[in-house]
Amino acid sequence: MKVAMATWEYPPRIVGGIAPHCEGLAKALSNLGHEVHVFTLDFPGAPDYEETQGIRIYRTRSEVGHPNFLTWVLLFNHFIEKRLADMSQAVDFDVLHVHDWLTAPSSIAIKHSLKKPLVFTAHSTENGRSGLHIPDSFTIDGIEWWATYEADKIIVTSGSMKWEVCGHFHTSDKKVEIIPNAIDLGKYNGAVDRWAVRARYGVQPHEKLVLCVGRLVPQKGIEYLLQAVPIVARYRQDAKFIIVGDGWYRDHLEWVANSTGQRWRIMFTGFIPDTDLVALTKSSDVLVVPSVYEPFGIVALEGMAAEVPIVVSQVGGLTEFVEHDRTGVLVHPRNPESIAWGIEHILSNPGHARWLTHNAKEVVQKTYGWEAIAKRTSRVYEEVIAEAVKK
Amino acid sequence: MSSTPLPPVPEEFRVLSMMHNIGAIIPERALTQDELAKWTGIEVGSVSDCLQRLRELGYVEHIEVNGVEKYHVTKVGIMKVLTLYS
Repeated sequence: MKVAMATWEYPPRIVGGIAPHCEGLAKALSNLGHEVHVFTLDFPGAPDYEETQGIRIYRTRSEVGHPNFLTWVLLFNHFIEKRLADMSQAVDFDVLHVHDWLTAPSSIAIKHSLKKPLVFTAHSTENGRSGLHIPDSFTIDGIEWWATYEADKIIVTSGSMKWEVCGHFHTSDKKVEIIPNAIDLGKYNGAVDRWAVRARYGVQPHEKLVLCVGRLVPQKGIEYLLQAVPIVARYRQDAKFIIVGDGWYRDHLEWVANSTGQRWRIMFTGFIPDTDLVALTKSSDVLVVPSVYEPFGIVALEGMAAEVPIVVSQVGGLTEFVEHDRTGVLVHPRNPESIAWGIEHILSNPGHARWLTHNAKEVVQKTYGWEAIAKRTSRVYEEVIAEAVKK
Repeated sequence: MSSTPLPPVPEEFRVLSMMHNIGAIIPERALTQDELAKWTGIEVGSVSDCLQRLRELGYVEHIEVNGVEKYHVTKVGIMKVLTLYS
């Protein structure tokens, strides 16, 4: 099949989980023999066009900008649409696959002009991310609804996301397919000098390293982990906390960290390269995912693959692949006491923690590899193509 | 997440976001303080303060073109901006 995939983020333009998702899926589809064309936005230093591992990547520069975010989105969609239309002269695409609302306008336009089926992966919703408190959010919510309406099939990564999409957009559940996220397991196989990695971040051999990775935005619930720091410190004088990532909420989070009286235990690293992140994850004693909204929660899956015990909020997709006290520890969201309990439960039971990581790794290996996920996605493509032929 | 309104976005982050949306993400598209003030509708003095802080944080880079000071968003700055929208 010839697949045209549209996404606003694709490596090296990485914001959250969508970029690695699209890259992993594109590679796996290509390995299955499909011809994958990725249409995305430009990024300084990345070529406008490249072919890598069988994937053709078209990075489009928006020739015109505008300070208003939504106008900017419409403008870059216009240029992506032009590029897609140009390429469709040379390639007879079988299916269009759009990830999230940001590239939906161009994909919907191309769907109609080429008369090709459209698959929409809804990674999250504006209602879930931020709530509908400002006019921009209502517009984004409307575009998300439009994408669900126009799509021949909608893919979501968890049951909770299916419930959210069907409930919020009044979409038929027959139209929505759950295909979980996946990770590149090979990334976690290499050996790491655990003590050297920890030393780089100022963590001594006798100290316990609590790691949290994510965009610094409200939905990640990092303020509740920070509020848990003094509670953990009551029992654990040896605990250090590292927060990896960046985001517009960082100033507020640093303020919360300062107010704990334990600021010296907490380090904000900002964004770090992927290879460093893998090494740091593998060198940690516990990974905490304190999200208050999480359609899937790939960072937890990455922790499981890295064989680090995980403490995660009992929300969204996390509850669907983390089994409490068998593959990780579930805690109450927005609840510092519960998060502190989860961390202490792991740190004070090293034998149990090892058992959890063993079970978790087994689950990841069995279910969350890209090949299986790409095969399921291919079946969705086949289904919408067959339906389109009937029409 | 939908129950409480989000806290306001800091002023310098709004400037960073607008610079990004205008397209000032590479040296060839860098803009002067005056141009940024015009584009964003924010007073030159405020733009200047924001740029100073953004430079300190590594989100904006400063270049000189024919004796004129210009500013563009760095790669880390782009990633920071995009967190607002995802």
